[in-house]
Amino acid sequence: MSSWAERLENPVSARLRDPATSGYAGLVLGALAAFLSIPPIMTRSVTWPILVGIVAAMLGIWTVTRGRRRLGLGAIVTGLVGLGLGVLATHSGTGNLNAVFDATLIAQMFASATPLTFGAIGGMFSERSGVVNIGLEGMMLMGAFWGVWGADKGGNWVVGLLVGMGTGAVLALVYAYFAIHLRADQIVGGTAVNFLALGITGYFFFQLYHGNYVSQGVSTIPNVHLGFLSHGHFGRHFLGPAIGNLNLMIWVSFLLVIASYVVVFKTPIGLRIRACGEHPRAADTVGINVYAVRYGAVILSGMLAAIGGVYLSDGFGGGTFNDNMTAGRGFIALAAMIFGNWRPAGAFGAALLFGFSSALALKLQVYSPSASTLFNVLPYVLTLIAVAGVIGRTVPPAADGKPYRKQ
Amino acid sequence: MSTVDPKSSVPETPEEAAASGTLAASIALKQRAGGIVVPVLTALIAFLLGGLVVLATGHNPLLAYRDIFNGAGLNWIFHPTTNVANTAAYNLSQTLLQTTTLILCGLAVAFAFRCGMFNIGGQGQYFVGLYVANWVGYDFAHMNPLPHILLAVGAATLAGAAWAGIAGFLKATVGAHEVISTIMLNWIAIWVGEWLFGDGGPLQNSANATVPISNDVADSAKLPVFWGQQELQGLHIGFFVALAALVVFWVVLNRTTLGYEVRAVGFNPDAAAYGGISVKKNLIRAMAISGAFAGLAGGLDMLGYLYHFGQSDIPVSSVGFLGIAVALLGRNTAIGTGLGALLFGALLFGTTHGLSSNVIQPELAGNLTYMIQGLIVLFVGADVLILYLWNTRRKLRPQAKAETA
Amino acid sequence: MADELVLEMRGIRKEFPGIVANDDVGLDVRRGEVHALLGENGAGKSTLMNILYGLYKPDGGEIRLHGKPVTFASARDAIQAGIGMVHQHFMLIPVMTVAENIVLGAEPRDGVLLDERGAERRVRDLSERFGLAVNPSALVSEITVGQEQRVEILKALYRGADVLILDEPTAVLTPQEAGELFEIIRSLQEDGKSIIFISHKLNEVLEIADRITVLRRGRTIETVPREGATEASLARAMVGRDVLLRVEKAPAEPGDVLLSVGDMHVFDDRGIEKVRGVSFDVRAGEIVGIAGVDGNGQSELIEAITGLRKVDSGTIRVAGAELRDASARRMIDAGVGHIPEDRQRRGLVLEFSIAENVALHDYASPPDAKWGWLFPSRLIERARRLIKEFDVRGGGPLTRAGGLSGGNQQKVVVAREIERDPKVLIAAQPTRGLDVGAIEYLHRRIVAERDEGRAVLLVSLELEEIFSLSDRILVIYEGEIVGEHTGEVSEQEIGLEMLGGRERSAA
Repeated sequence: MSSWAERLENPVSARLRDPATSGYAGLVLGALAAFLSIPPIMTRSVTWPILVGIVAAMLGIWTVTRGRRRLGLGAIVTGLVGLGLGVLATHSGTGNLNAVFDATLIAQMFASATPLTFGAIGGMFSERSGVVNIGLEGMMLMGAFWGVWGADKGGNWVVGLLVGMGTGAVLALVYAYFAIHLRADQIVGGTAVNFLALGITGYFFFQLYHGNYVSQGVSTIPNVHLGFLSHGHFGRHFLGPAIGNLNLMIWVSFLLVIASYVVVFKTPIGLRIRACGEHPRAADTVGINVYAVRYGAVILSGMLAAIGGVYLSDGFGGGTFNDNMTAGRGFIALAAMIFGNWRPAGAFGAALLFGFSSALALKLQVYSPSASTLFNVLPYVLTLIAVAGVIGRTVPPAADGKPYRKQ
Repeated sequence: MSTVDPKSSVPETPEEAAASGTLAASIALKQRAGGIVVPVLTALIAFLLGGLVVLATGHNPLLAYRDIFNGAGLNWIFHPTTNVANTAAYNLSQTLLQTTTLILCGLAVAFAFRCGMFNIGGQGQYFVGLYVANWVGYDFAHMNPLPHILLAVGAATLAGAAWAGIAGFLKATVGAHEVISTIMLNWIAIWVGEWLFGDGGPLQNSANATVPISNDVADSAKLPVFWGQQELQGLHIGFFVALAALVVFWVVLNRTTLGYEVRAVGFNPDAAAYGGISVKKNLIRAMAISGAFAGLAGGLDMLGYLYHFGQSDIPVSSVGFLGIAVALLGRNTAIGTGLGALLFGALLFGTTHGLSSNVIQPELAGNLTYMIQGLIVLFVGADVLILYLWNTRRKLRPQAKAETA
Repeated sequence: MADELVLEMRGIRKEFPGIVANDDVGLDVRRGEVHALLGENGAGKSTLMNILYGLYKPDGGEIRLHGKPVTFASARDAIQAGIGMVHQHFMLIPVMTVAENIVLGAEPRDGVLLDERGAERRVRDLSERFGLAVNPSALVSEITVGQEQRVEILKALYRGADVLILDEPTAVLTPQEAGELFEIIRSLQEDGKSIIFISHKLNEVLEIADRITVLRRGRTIETVPREGATEASLARAMVGRDVLLRVEKAPAEPGDVLLSVGDMHVFDDRGIEKVRGVSFDVRAGEIVGIAGVDGNGQSELIEAITGLRKVDSGTIRVAGAELRDASARRMIDAGVGHIPEDRQRRGLVLEFSIAENVALHDYASPPDAKWGWLFPSRLIERARRLIKEFDVRGGGPLTRAGGLSGGNQQKVVVAREIERDPKVLIAAQPTRGLDVGAIEYLHRRIVAERDEGRAVLLVSLELEEIFSLSDRILVIYEGEIVGEHTGEVSEQEIGLEMLGGRERSAA
């Protein structure tokens, strides 16, 4: 971006005076205010979170006066919220805090975030090409059921993964046909596809497995055991439990984020996908086949969402399926994509954030099951805030959701 | 000098008309183009395809549909009786119970569509109405029945209106797409409910603190039942409220200035603005009214037969989403919504609690409903049939004479 | 410059339902020449060029490139054959960089990745070679319109265009940018490229073109070299001799000034000043017609006067009352009636019945409604009366407006506006797309309203209409009033002014 280039050329002092610096610093400090009171630092004195939180808020105010209103407001809010949370934490018992904030929280965060990552990246491809995909939930659900079925019947989780991807692709193809060729309303089509998936998976779940667990001992996606991380005090208490035994798919999701960034922003096909999503007529006039690109992107999104679903049932779930197992994760993935502003890194960050909140919700049971239940609304509230443009303008691709008609 | 644009005399295909117009206009176009034939055909095709799935998995679809028909109590018309001990009569009363809810949830979607917006948040608005009705129904037990009922129902309606109003407000002010905001609000409502009725939640049972269920509403808040017994889940007067709502829907849209504005904004915001109509105000109003219908549905259900609600009930409820299919099938009209609600009410009850069949189990039949629902919404969204009919009509008619300048 | 013929188009014919857009049109272009294609809106220039660029298929005739016949199935074929087109509405993606826009679809690669450095290098090379200064890494959303145009030209050159079609290129440029464009065109010429320059600005055409082809009503009128052509001769070729439809009308008896516009300046959505200091009055009982080629500021002027667009500076007075920055509603209430130029978008709600449309301004007040309750019978009654008075055919009060023919739709709009007894009636392209019968009826109606004592402001792209109805004619060119005529004036003279031909006399 040209403004970054300008900043790099200026002396360091100019950079420090830039309101963006103070704004981001305020955001970081606000988060820090809360972070100080939880393990591993776990300061017991209220002064620290209060101090840091106030500094964050002041930086926010200063940012606002220098023109960056939204960023500044964000810093003020983060500072105050961080202050509040930090103070709350100091009043909580250390036993509870340790039970909640331990290294397994990190592992749980990654585990919860992974289906969201797959869904959000998939959704990003579809929307970047100009097709809104509300049906991600249904495609994920198809993957969840047919993935376990494939692992069961095929004897191997790889078969399950492929079958799951296949069913996700098929559902996506149906959706793509209605949305692209028939130019149906995409929201309506996506909603329909979700119902279809719910019905199909539920029907065959009862037909084939009588609504009970899939047969015992079905092949599940393995974990990746990194034993070398568990050496030393830090390793044994933090690194090991945190990332030493994560499922394969979690690592695949990290690779996916990197790969999708490269594809979308650094390859010719990515440029063309983006062109179709921003200005399909311009793409058409330079000879790009907009229909083909969109079909491909939608089918890819179905496959990726389905992989997320297979992980849910055959990896995370240990080889089980429940009726309507995805429970709205497809929509949270959509939210993560929006929150991440249709960029892979942003979507991944949002997925981690949402994953963190589900993981935290599980752990918060130690306080009261009630509070932890309410905590589950966080991803949705955050997305509402994002869509309301409070944090910053979320900018979808310009032609997102509009069917294209060749002249 | 002439400045004629050759393209202005080319007749439009419905796709072009639909694409250039608004959501409301395109659905109205479909309504005109197909009349009642298309919804009926769409439903039939969906049933056909669903039947194929049933057949493919080794069950007899015709018998299955017959059992669903009986399960819904529609066989009552062959031997009408008011005696609720009769199975068909009981089933019918239950179907009508579902129909009540679906009428209102369908209206919730239809009203928003008339203003050009897609209200997917019916489920959340329904829940919010339900929660509020439960609270008011329980907490104000000392009141007389009539005011108590009115208070609870009114509060539920307002709650639904407010919940939807959030999405309307966001759309009018910052242009946030109502689909995203209503979906988010749905899930917030779901989790708020889980919290409310869960262990330690504010609306959780005061008598028994181990079950995650709410209190029962007080007797003074329960709606009178007119067919069947209150203890055995009879059909309550909310049914008539729903029918009245259909009339209110029609009247508001066609006989009030508010309805005029809502329709104008839905069809053509530019012309509406030129006529002095405030587009933003109407977006908010339309969403609020939609939410009111759904909230009312929740209130009536709570006070009419549910009386309590629990954590495990929340994921199972799908009436808000069925409302989408009802409204789309009924083309956002009052009559269409009524008939669509009857169809889906029959499907909903007939495939689950009412089903007694050795051909197909309730779990399968219930999922069949989802498949049929999905197919109907899919076909309606694409209007395959409309395009097919329109194209054959065009080929048969001679080329329309275009205007020349 | 070699006289080699690069492009020949012979006998091109293209029909749309109800109209022949190109009728036996011929055009030939030599290597290194700037060939101007002149004609007013609807003459067939755009159609011809869309055929050349592969977007339309001709119904007859042939195209030859370097002597060989070619057919194009799509734009891609045309591009590969060396034809490049810069459209009037740019096909650029705002969120991408200049370089990305230029190489889209023909991206240089580095293995599997995009060769960004290579792309920028090639853009810079081309840019230096032809004098088209652009910053390859700038975002399109951040560059000026003039720079956007250069990017479009580079897009064509990057793909190896030999023949470059420029469609009304100076429409969006400032005079200075236009001068820069001409420099670029000259350097392209020196490189052997051929340019087809579509325009209706006579002065520019005479400055840049080597040869000029004039189209009128879908036919080639003449092809002349620049030497010997004058603005007058070109204008005559463009306008021709037409049969004029004149409406019978008594001479005007103008009364008080009912509409007064003073030194108005209005900007369009892109920030370009479209109305540059326009002042005029319209009196009761007179029809003032504003003549001009589409895009010279008329639309923005009307939008400003009717409250649909913000005025940057200047005054508007209706019957003496100062009304600047008023909303559309206030303008309506102040007595300004508006027949909008886009009746389907602004004028009517097509899904509403005639009765509902006629009530668009009044639905909320008695007798149509009281305390929020609508009385359809009153709406229907009024509609019935208006249908009769304005001879609306094709349906009754409950007929959907979208089911009426264009002429009848327009009658509904006119009826609604006149029903409110406006002091000032503004008619913007009132007979666009209508048949002769409807035109005749509307013309008579407008004159009748004038005789009722209303002040009528007519804006039209049809010179016949202006001549037929106006008591006074104003000519608008590039946002300024360049001529005012009462009494006898010839079409040629007006036509010349509309094309910027006449030297503007000192104010």
